[in-house]
Order: sequence, then C-alpha cells, then structure tokens
Amino acid sequence: METIKLDLKHYKELLKSYIETQDEKSLYGAEQISKSFIKNNILPEEIVNLHIQSIIELYPDLNKEIRHAMNFLLETMISYGLAHQEYQTLREKQLELKSEISIAANMQETLLATTIPNVEDLDIGVISVPAHQMNGDYHHLVKSNDGLIGIAVADVIGKGIPAALCMSMIKYSMESFPDQSMKPKAILESLNRVVERNVEAGMFITMFYALYNPTDSKLQYASAGHEPGFYYYAEQDTYNEIDAKGLVLGVSPDTNYNQYELQLHQGDMVILLTDGVTECRNNGKFIEREEVIEVIKKYAHLPAQETVNQVYKHFERLQNFQLKDDFTLIILRKNV
Amino acid sequence: MNLDINVTENSEKYLVHLSGEIDAYTSQKLKDTLLPLTKKKGYTLVVDLEQVNYMDSTGLGVFISVLKATKEAESSMTLINLKERVRKLFKITGLDQIININLDERGVND
Amino acid sequence: MTTQSCVMIQKEWDIVAARQLGREIAKKIGVGTVDQARIATAVSEIARNIYLYAGKGKVCFDVIETIDQKGILITAEDSGPGIDDLSMAMEDGFSTSGGLGAGLPGVKRLMDEFDIKSEVGQGTQIKVIKWVR
Repeated sequence: METIKLDLKHYKELLKSYIETQDEKSLYGAEQISKSFIKNNILPEEIVNLHIQSIIELYPDLNKEIRHAMNFLLETMISYGLAHQEYQTLREKQLELKSEISIAANMQETLLATTIPNVEDLDIGVISVPAHQMNGDYHHLVKSNDGLIGIAVADVIGKGIPAALCMSMIKYSMESFPDQSMKPKAILESLNRVVERNVEAGMFITMFYALYNPTDSKLQYASAGHEPGFYYYAEQDTYNEIDAKGLVLGVSPDTNYNQYELQLHQGDMVILLTDGVTECRNNGKFIEREEVIEVIKKYAHLPAQETVNQVYKHFERLQNFQLKDDFTLIILRKNV
Repeated sequence: MNLDINVTENSEKYLVHLSGEIDAYTSQKLKDTLLPLTKKKGYTLVVDLEQVNYMDSTGLGVFISVLKATKEAESSMTLINLKERVRKLFKITGLDQIININLDERGVND
Repeated sequence: MTTQSCVMIQKEWDIVAARQLGREIAKKIGVGTVDQARIATAVSEIARNIYLYAGKGKVCFDVIETIDQKGILITAEDSGPGIDDLSMAMEDGFSTSGGLGAGLPGVKRLMDEFDIKSEVGQGTQIKVIKWVR
C-alpha cells in the first residue's frame, strides 16, 4: 500500500512534467515506474485509475467527456488484469513443475551414474546428453570380477519423462542379473522378456550390448534393433557399419538374438551411438551416417573422451544448441 | 509438421494413404485412426507410406500397436511403398521380420 | 440488512441488467471505481455462466454489514446441469469459455470471498462478497 501511495505521487509528478515539457526524462521515469508496477503486481485497471486520479488532481476542470472516456478505458482493463493474474499463477505452477522435474532429473542422474572402468588396453570415451531435462538414452559400463567389460547402450522410444521412467526399469533389471559376465545374447533375451511384460503395446527399447575380453581382445556383441554403430579398422583405415540384426526389446516375448564377435587390433575403434546422433537435422535436412563418420574422423586423433566431447559439440552447434533427441556416443579405442 | 490420413474401404480391405511426417506430434492421430480399422476379422489394412518422408520411433510404436491389434482381431496389416529412409528404420529395428512389408506393391486399387 | 434485490437471467440482455444493478449497489455503499468495475465483471461472468450453461437462473444482491466492515454479497443460483468436477472448474487454464483469465477462477480473483456448491443434475449456487475498502 505504501508503495502505491508513493507511486501515485511520483506518477502525478512525472505526468505533469511530461505534459508541460514532453521531455524524454519523464518518459524514462515512466519506464521505471511501470517496472515497479509489474514488480508489485499492480494490475492495469489500477494503473488506469491512477492515471485518472492524477489527471483530475492536475486539471480539476477536465471536461466531462474525457472523464467518461477514461472510465471506459478502466472498464476494458479488468479482463486484462485477470489474464495477467492467471499468467502469474501459471508461471508459478510452471516453476514448481520445473523444479520437480529437475529433482527427478538429479535422481535419474544418480541412478544412472556409471563409472568408466579402467582397462589397460582400452581408451574409453562416453557422452550422453538429454534433449530435455530427463534422459531416454541409457548407457552402462561395468567390469566383472573376471575382468570382462560389459557395455550397454539403449534408447527408449520417445523422450522426456515417460522414456526416463522406462529406462529406470532397464537399470534395475540389468542389476538383477546374477552374473556380470553374462553373454550379450543372454542379456538381451532376458531383458526382452522383462520389457515385454512391463510396457504397453507400442512402447519399445532398442539396445546394443557388448562384452569385451581384454585377455584375447575379442568383443562379443548383440543388438536389439539398435542404431548400428561403426567399427574402425586401423590397419586399412576404414570405417564400417557394425552389422547386427535383432528385434527391438518389448515386442515379442520369445525373441532370440544373434551374437557376433569382433577381433580388436591396435588402433581399432568401436563407435556406439543412439539415433539422437544420426537424427540430427540441419535446417530440416537430415545428416547422413557418412557425415557422422566424417566428424568422428576429424577428432579421432584425440583421446577418446575428447573425441566424443568434440563430436557432441559439433552436432550441438549444427542444431543451434537445441537437441531434438537425447544424444549418446561411446567410443572404445584399443591402444595397445 | 502435418500428417494427412485418407482412408478408403474396398472389399474387405482398408486402404490408408498417409502423407506427411509421422512423429511424436502426429503419431497419436495415426494410432487413433488405424486401431479401429483392425477390428473386423478377415480384413486387411493396407497402409501406403509413399508420401511419408519422415518417421521416427514413435511411428514404429504405432505400427507395433496396430500389428498387435490385428493379431487379436484376426485381421492383418501390410505396409506398402516405403521410402528408403523409412524402410531402413523397419530394417534396423528388426520390425521388418514381424510386419508385412510389401516393397513392390503399386496400384493396390486393382 | 437491507432487502435483497434480484435479477432473473434468461436472455443475454439480463446480464447487462445484473451488471448494472451490481454496480449501482456497490456505488451506493461506497465501493471505489476500480472495485465497481471488478464487481460488474464478476457479475457478468456468473450471469453469463447461467445464461450459457443453465439457460435460466437468478443473481441476487445483498448489502451486508459486520462490526468492522461493509460489503456486497452476490448470490447466483440456477437449476442447470451442475458442475461435475469443481476442482477442475476452479483451475486456471481450464475455463470452458477458453477465455484468458475469465471463468470461475477469474470471479474468485475479482472478489474478496468466494463459495460454490454444485450438484450434477440439480444446479449450482455461487456466493461472492466484495468488501468496501
């Protein structure tokens, strides 16, 4: 109330000064005072009323018609005032939701935290960035007691909260598997049964699972309809698609998955990704998978973590810093 | 983006012409249109994707739902005239193994 | 307490009559210009709801006085379809009129006190008060 009285006095003075001189300084004052109105939730009808009062005090002989006209204006402001109040309430609600989601996102981050295992002959780089606050991509790296490295990349259909919820399920089921050195084929088959039982029709998950054995440098892998990764064959300096067939998780309960094997040599790279990488659109045009390879090539001389960071930055810029889909990229490079 | 859906019925066959993009925004509309068309036993639902230039994973989800619905109602679904990019999506996800995809079909009206 | 005055709402013009009566009573008991306009808008809104959804009903005005304040009590009654989900009707952004800020939440904001009772199939009663400041 005090501020309103102060503002009334100030408003009247500014109005008077402007009517007499039409100077910019009074208008600057008007700008300041309107900001103060907004800050103090003064509604438009009150401002119009303030204006009417000021002008009547300044010019007591103001003609009747103008006064009526001003009252008419006041009347039209009422609904604007309501709309403004509604907007304020919705804004507060939105902030509330945002903070709830950000807490959930933090929980998710903790839930999905994965440490990159230390493997002597393998340089590993990982990046996973959600398009919105919550991530529908999943990745997990684990070293089993017998020294095998399990690498999982998964993509839940859709994005945002529903995808994130679904992904927590993957996390828990993976943890419930008794043996961390389970074969990729067996992992996908068990996961598929879990997912099929627990998701509604039309929901599905794609996953690539690999198991690396440092003793013989062999990588066993299987894919459940996941975006194919790339294999860099250092000796020939060629990039090839990692060929793996298999149905997405959650569609058919008795799916069998094929298991494949790769022999890694010094300098070879295995590149795993989600379709957030290949579905980047540049001005409405899709980038081709070959372009992804070009970008990776450009940064391939860097340590694996630096490579994935730089590739991400490249595509982030390409999409004007607004990811359309969750982005996950993992690079494994055999360095001995 | 938009998706136009045009349905015609012809002797135990629904022919659905799609034109536009199938993504998170349009897939609900597609699902709502296709699901009721699966209810008649013995009917075939033919979905023409020639005019579909883009489809994302939510689109695949729709076709999985519709496929499951046809199995329940003993009807069937065939997808025809898929663009290369769309066909590839079905291939990568392994869905081409469980969904009828007819690549050569042209002029299904005759 | 003074006697109650009511306006029957049956056609769109009755909304205008209700607004006018509300404004006059408010003015008489010393309500300021801005609050007069707010009362008129609130009356408009509840009378319009009667006209649109119940077809007919009435809006009544009472001048009420407590030890320390004076105000206008507006009661709107209809025997229309009623409102199934009051929480939703009171939620911002759900107004069936689709209008910004209007609807029941708007009425609540315009007035100092607000109460609503509604039974599906029986009708709706809204009571609102604006105190003289």
